[in-house]
Amino acid sequence: MTVSRNKLTKKDITDLAVLSIFEQCPFCYERMQAGGYTATLAPTLKKIYGDQTEELGNALGRNMTFFNTEPHMATFQQGLHAALEEAGEDRDVIMGIRDALFGPFAGLGDAVFWFTLLPVTATICCSLCSQGNVLGPILFLIIWFFLGIVPRIWLCHLGYNLGTSAVDVIRENAPAIAKAAGILGVLVVGALIPSYVGIAFNEELVLTGGVAVQAIFDSVIPNLLPLALVLFFYWLIKKKNIGSIQLIIAILIICIVASYFNIFAY
Amino acid sequence: MSITLVQGLMLALMAAICAIDKCTEAFFWFRPITTAFLTGVILGDVKLGLQCAAIAELAFTGLLTVGGTVPPDGLMAGIMTTVLAYLNPGLTPEAALSLAFPFALLMQWVGIIENTTFAGFMPIMEKQAYKADIKGLWRTLFTGVGITAIIYAIIVFLSTYAIQEPIRLFVENFPEWIVNGFTVAGGIMPAIGLAMLLRVMMTTENAPYLFIGFVVATFVEMGNVLPIAIVGAAIAYLGYLNAKKQAAQGGNEDDGI
Repeated sequence: MTVSRNKLTKKDITDLAVLSIFEQCPFCYERMQAGGYTATLAPTLKKIYGDQTEELGNALGRNMTFFNTEPHMATFQQGLHAALEEAGEDRDVIMGIRDALFGPFAGLGDAVFWFTLLPVTATICCSLCSQGNVLGPILFLIIWFFLGIVPRIWLCHLGYNLGTSAVDVIRENAPAIAKAAGILGVLVVGALIPSYVGIAFNEELVLTGGVAVQAIFDSVIPNLLPLALVLFFYWLIKKKNIGSIQLIIAILIICIVASYFNIFAY
Repeated sequence: MSITLVQGLMLALMAAICAIDKCTEAFFWFRPITTAFLTGVILGDVKLGLQCAAIAELAFTGLLTVGGTVPPDGLMAGIMTTVLAYLNPGLTPEAALSLAFPFALLMQWVGIIENTTFAGFMPIMEKQAYKADIKGLWRTLFTGVGITAIIYAIIVFLSTYAIQEPIRLFVENFPEWIVNGFTVAGGIMPAIGLAMLLRVMMTTENAPYLFIGFVVATFVEMGNVLPIAIVGAAIAYLGYLNAKKQAAQGGNEDDGI
């Protein structure tokens, strides 16, 4: 049976941008924004697939892997995603592009929203506040109402239009693009390990002879423990078929017990 | 000065609304500048609210969520700075801010425990996604948001109206190792997410790039992952050209046969 795909309208893309306000909920450390990304994209994909439940389910389910970006910028990727689904691109290519882009966009979004716009608006509004001017917090809320919604809508259309115009290029070169996206994605995941995964031995954990355990690891290569953990979990998940929930429960128990004996530090 | 039951309930409602925005991080209602000011409005002392808003926001502007860590909670700090300055005339907003710290710490713990336990929502949402159960997905999403909002409402009500002192004592005497355990677990859990991502992404051909990205990020100081991503995009482009060339050559060979 062939799959039919409906066209999206401009309004659908704006709706997606507005729903995407919840892109970060419910946030968890394990897959971060995966749930919110999937739920907020779902009504758009439903527009595309209509009542073809099986196809819609496959399109949605694949999104439940790790995703974390700056929430204001997530709509760019969701717009792009919608355009590629609408055009019926190969799903491995779509997911490859999604996974390769979230890291760079997180960096870009943090730099723009959290390290530039927030300090600038906060400083201006705080100086109004300390003068006893009620405009301070009100201006802050007005500015961030617009910053919370306008960039989202604009970025969503940008992503969608970019996706629509790149559809043919992507389809013609799908294997090459999948390969390139894989390289970028894997490289970015490698680069995210030191900042996203935090684990070290407690500094006070010392071997006989006064050598701290963590110092031994650090002298080999810093962040060795986070890298080793990722590779260990990869091996468990891929080769031993261990589910993530079993892993999480095991980690919680081990960490609370280890914390009682002061073994690890964050 | 004291806080009435109605004011306590209004503060709880305000906290719940701001907590929803804390989940989305969209409109910045969760910043101390907002919550300290709104607290002042509810308590009927706008001027005090403004003073506390400025002090609390400036103190927290440097504290941003980077990666998976949660800073002491600014939403709670904003509310409690105004509340404590209001309840104790003569206390400067600066002193009120430092007295508000245990409450911000308590909400930080709650945030860490939520972010850890909400991992349990993921398999539920994965099932709902594969079944194309969109209503179910949104129900789970709002369950998470609702839990956060309700927890904030309850703790803000208790901290402002009912049992401020017991809460401070609770935070000061809480066995730290339990929270530490959750914190360490929260630091480890992204490793599972990244490993699951690698399961679909990593091939024998691109595996070396994992180590290149890791080593560069470990040894080069940078504010975010963007510089590496640009290098990565350049390498990926080379890979793309190579793959295209191979495909073209492969095509020619086929024609030759």
